[in-house]
Amino acid sequence: MTPQDLMIRMLPPFGGWLALASLALPGGSPLRGAAVAAFLAVGPGAALVRICGPALGARSAEGPVEDTSEDTSEGTDEAGDAAFAHHSDLLERLMLAVLLSVSVAILLATVLIAAHALSGDRVLLTLTLLTTLAAFCPALRARPAPGTAPGAAPPTWKGSTL
Amino acid sequence: MRPPATPRERSAPEPASGKYDPDAPQADEAPAHDSRTREAPTAHTSRDVTTERTSRDVPTAHTSRDVPTERTSRDEPAAHTSQDEPTERTLREESTTRTSQESAAESPEEVSARPEPGGAERVDRPATPEPPGSGSGSGAEPPVSDPSDLAPATRPARAAAAWPAVPLLTALALWVYAVRHTDVSALDDYGLVGALHPAFWAGLAVLTAGFWFTVRDPRRRSRWPLAHVLGLLVMERATQALLYPTPLYAWAWKHDAVVDHLLTSGGLQGADRLGDMAVYDQWPGFFAAQAALVRLLGVDNTAMYMAWWPLVSSVLLLLPLLLIYRTFTTDRRLIWTAVWLFCVANWVGQDYFSPQSVAFALHLGVLAIVLRRYGRTGVPGTAGTAGTSGTAGDGADGRGVRQGQAVWTVLLSMLVVAVVVSHQLTPGMLVVTLLALALTRRHRDWIPLITTVVIFLAWCLTAALPFLSAAMPDMIRSVGDVGANVETGYGTTPTGTGAVAMSWAARLLSGSVLLLALAGVLRRRVLRHRAFPLLLLAAAPLPMFVASSYGSEMIFRVLMFMLPGAAFFAAAALLPTVRASAAEVSGPANATARAIKRPSAPARRRRLSLPAPPPLRYGAWLAPLVLLAGTLAFVPSYSGKDRINYFPPREVALVQRLFDQAPDDSLVVAANRNYPLAYEQYWRVDHYWFLDDDRRHVDEIVRDPAGVLARDMAAVDPPARAYFLLTQGQVANSEMNGQLNEAQLRRVRESVAGSPRFERVAENGAGVLYVLKPAS
Repeated sequence: MTPQDLMIRMLPPFGGWLALASLALPGGSPLRGAAVAAFLAVGPGAALVRICGPALGARSAEGPVEDTSEDTSEGTDEAGDAAFAHHSDLLERLMLAVLLSVSVAILLATVLIAAHALSGDRVLLTLTLLTTLAAFCPALRARPAPGTAPGAAPPTWKGSTL
Repeated sequence: MRPPATPRERSAPEPASGKYDPDAPQADEAPAHDSRTREAPTAHTSRDVTTERTSRDVPTAHTSRDVPTERTSRDEPAAHTSQDEPTERTLREESTTRTSQESAAESPEEVSARPEPGGAERVDRPATPEPPGSGSGSGAEPPVSDPSDLAPATRPARAAAAWPAVPLLTALALWVYAVRHTDVSALDDYGLVGALHPAFWAGLAVLTAGFWFTVRDPRRRSRWPLAHVLGLLVMERATQALLYPTPLYAWAWKHDAVVDHLLTSGGLQGADRLGDMAVYDQWPGFFAAQAALVRLLGVDNTAMYMAWWPLVSSVLLLLPLLLIYRTFTTDRRLIWTAVWLFCVANWVGQDYFSPQSVAFALHLGVLAIVLRRYGRTGVPGTAGTAGTSGTAGDGADGRGVRQGQAVWTVLLSMLVVAVVVSHQLTPGMLVVTLLALALTRRHRDWIPLITTVVIFLAWCLTAALPFLSAAMPDMIRSVGDVGANVETGYGTTPTGTGAVAMSWAARLLSGSVLLLALAGVLRRRVLRHRAFPLLLLAAAPLPMFVASSYGSEMIFRVLMFMLPGAAFFAAAALLPTVRASAAEVSGPANATARAIKRPSAPARRRRLSLPAPPPLRYGAWLAPLVLLAGTLAFVPSYSGKDRINYFPPREVALVQRLFDQAPDDSLVVAANRNYPLAYEQYWRVDHYWFLDDDRRHVDEIVRDPAGVLARDMAAVDPPARAYFLLTQGQVANSEMNGQLNEAQLRRVRESVAGSPRFERVAENGAGVLYVLKPAS
């Protein structure tokens, strides 16, 4: 694991603990708001996407078909296709990180309010603990093809930062 | 749940006949302080901060692409000057070529020792992954043998590369100036349109022009269109947050009350304790999350930040929207023009502090995943993207693919559950859209649809069953009654010159975008085939007209859900079609075609100049003018009825005073619910809005206001009290929506004031509060 991988892996839980620490600041403080909002908006989803990332790549993504007769899009260059697809994959991971974070926060708050146990501290602490746990989980990997040599690197999503 | 009344659409003022008197005697001026009232326009500091932040967001000029080599320039063919529309891929090719050239020119030690030039760019544009089987990746171009060949970027080239910052910063500067010089203290029937400083319109025009020239210049990177779109969202959705000292829109205040209820009760309650408002406890997702957020931020209530929600929710939409469009085209111009059109056509106003604002983003996120990951690669019109591994098509294990699909389904389910627990209508829209997609051969994967239906039904048959079982008879009756479902109903007819004009602006805007979309569908045959799922996205919500009126709002909701697909084809109609020559598509000539597309380095440097205006042809100017008209039309459509939606601090203070003193089980009687805090403490204070009542009873009230109202309010048992509240928000809403006009409501007020049955509690320039005296 490279230092960059480690940093990416630990950033979401660090954000959660930072948000928890920020609760010591006075209510309405911009720093407190920024720390809490940033973690709730991205943290849990980023941890989840890191775990699922390689498995998600097992299913190919649909991409635009180059139009050779009408469109103004570019030709049929493979490197260009790969770069475009790579950027789309990055955008997809970012979208997943944000929307999953929002969804997890909504679901957790719903469960807590239904149990008459809703509080801000509980939501944040639970999400931080889950995110920390996720940081120590290995990533889900797509099952290697039958014939793949033991120890061979499983297919990974090239260039992934999550 | 009773859906929010159509935000900015329903309303219409009478020609300014006899204004509500804001300078009425203020003997009992309510206390000005209220935790929900932000400090009045002392906003210089915050505005400055915003401006600074916006400025920081503007990317700096990128110059590394202007570092070509002489070798390259000698070897490459001359620039193809007739290529008016070079594309983003051309840039990517250049970037790839440059990267490989630079790498080849440097030893590994040099590479590792040398600080990375243009680090920011490398973050934004990671190295292009090599396609399988390719060699160096740069193809025909030889590497640079001498680093000294790398010519330094010239100053004029840098300046030219940064030119898109000029219109962007100019527009933002004009916007800041306009915000600081706009007075919203006396809005007329044209809402914010009549109050905005002219600099705002100039800024919007400059921004649109800058966007148009930037997005059509393929040598510019995507960050510039993104910066312009973010600038547009700031100007569109943050202006009101800066101008008005209190949050807009009565329904947003209502949602604040729901959050307050959850914080107070600590749990969910039923209709036996909450009456009609219990519906919110049956779809509590958004409100529960907001309740937690209020506690975590340490603020008193959501009114402290909900004015900024339109901006937040609109930015949130960009992620799935971009992803959806990138699934169907690589044409950067089409992608960003569609995003721009979506932003300016989405005037319906469901971006306010509401569950549907978040649910819509999640809805689009689910669709983006389904369109990208649940398609059937190999079906005509689709293609698996490069850059991802383990695809079914490239021989990977089928079990791995199934495992990956299972993971996708789990993530998808999380988004769907969040939608289902937050909002009633959005899951229905999601189901019909997924059904439409599943009926096509290209997306015939039933898993997303079945997953969504199962989750939706599970929620409806458990947590939401009390509401649905009560509302089911009405819902069944409205099925098939398209006429009733589409009509807006009493109290929603724009009345008065201002309201009618604003409504027509909105209708013209929506109609134009839909017509453009139709033109795009008819004109772009190949695109229509390739992006057929987007056509389905635009058409799928239409059957919902048959299902329900959704509180007279269905037409607006359907329009909003159609927009993502419609904006794409509308953008296609605006953009010119350039047919590729046969040489560009034939196999042997492909390299030549690519070489033609890749101009020489000096040529690139020369061509990276200030943009040329469109040629003096009518057709060339038509598209930007249409885009500009649409952008400008957004303002009256979105904020043309702010006279209804804005509640000044003194109005908030007046209503707050009522709730500060009202005993439990008190009754508040008002003309309508268009005032701040209308649902405040709804679990202990009841309401009666007499304009919602039968028309005959309204006529009785108009004939003898004090007598009839006193009779209606007499049923309240002490120690509870019955209050009569009339504020300027109620007057504006009634007058502009074709109910009682200002003169009639003034007579009601004077009648109550002159009646011995009522005692004045408070009064200020925004309204008056009376209490019914106990019967002796």
